Amino acid sequence: MKLALTILTPQAQIYSGEADEIIVPTITGEIGILPNHVSLLTQILPGELRVKNAGKTSSFAIMGGYLEVANNQVNVLGDYAIRAEDIEVAKAQQAKERAEKAKQEKASLEDLATIEAELRKSLLELKVAHRRKRSS
Amino acid sequence: MANLISIKRRVRTAQNVSKTTKAMQMIAASKLKKAEDAALSSRPYVEKLTSVSRNISKKIDKDNLIEYMKVPKDTSGSLMILVAPDKGLCGGLVTNLARMLLIFTKENKKISYVTVGKKANGIVRLFAGDTVASFDFGTTLPSYDTVYPIMTIVDDYFLGKKVQDVYIINSNFNSVFSQTPVIHKLLPVSFDLEDSQAINGKALFEPSEDVLLPGLIRHYLEMRLYQSLLETYLSEQAARMLAMQNATDNAKEIIEELRLLYNKTRQEKITNEILDISGGMYAPV
Repeated sequence: MKLALTILTPQAQIYSGEADEIIVPTITGEIGILPNHVSLLTQILPGELRVKNAGKTSSFAIMGGYLEVANNQVNVLGDYAIRAEDIEVAKAQQAKERAEKAKQEKASLEDLATIEAELRKSLLELKVAHRRKRSS
Repeated sequence: MANLISIKRRVRTAQNVSKTTKAMQMIAASKLKKAEDAALSSRPYVEKLTSVSRNISKKIDKDNLIEYMKVPKDTSGSLMILVAPDKGLCGGLVTNLARMLLIFTKENKKISYVTVGKKANGIVRLFAGDTVASFDFGTTLPSYDTVYPIMTIVDDYFLGKKVQDVYIINSNFNSVFSQTPVIHKLLPVSFDLEDSQAINGKALFEPSEDVLLPGLIRHYLEMRLYQSLLETYLSEQAARMLAMQNATDNAKEIIEELRLLYNKTRQEKITNEILDISGGMYAPV
């Protein structure tokens, strides 16, 4: 028995396929989901989402969203997500620097919120990318 | 014969028209690409979000329903959000929306309108409808910020119990060649609660329903609304591209015809002049 997992964001479908186990950071702490999990709805916090399938683990950086489990079908609705392999460290680093620089310059309140979100996103990407590098 | 100059003038006019329409076609084509990326990539997300929200509303107790899910009592009338482009010249897009709305107004009498886009204002004026708020649609990809003020109006009317339901009508993008108007019921978020097969076990909510649901449903409403804007924008660009392509083709055809007429007339004139001269030569003195 396997889980059918889909990870969707408004930008793209990030993942669609089978999984043995999914480890996801939620509002009540990090949880693991195995096949035949009870129906569940919960909120995802920004962090690293890990998918174990056939002995291999793949990582995703996710910026919050919702998780639904029903009949071995797992739906992850993320605000933003990226596969760890796809993270370009240099790009994320650049984005981080850019966001930090913009933060120091004078900006309106609205801009600031956008910049902060950007900064958090690139920091998370960097974290997930680094962790993956270390483990492999 | 004397109309040689006027034919030439008409050719020039047609050429100018074809230049303009060609330019508009190109602009629409380039916008179409970007719009397609945005609208089509978020479509599966919104569909999934809809089905998640739908499943949820089946699984919770009736007492735990949040305001967005309750059917308001002691009130009547509907709020209709009408999404249409700001500019015309996009084929039958606006007319199709108006036709769809006409059918809807036959069944629902008391409607208040929220218009998005200048053409939407025109449609409502046509029906002599009551507009409570009107927003600009813009000529670039709608930004997510557009959703918030619309949601404020929706909240005011629905949560303020001024209307009993909220609908949204917009154009749905099927392909570059086909866009159809669709009506969605936005509020109350009720997905056949009476459905008998609905109760297939309760779901677990972490931390709890009243913490999760308001956020999720709100997010669902915003995304649904935003998707409607994206679809309409995409439809607009596709329709305009096609309409302008047709216009360019037509203009080219007219130019051909006029050219032929011009050449014929010119030849005729020359022939007549030669006839005149040669006739004069042999004329008896």
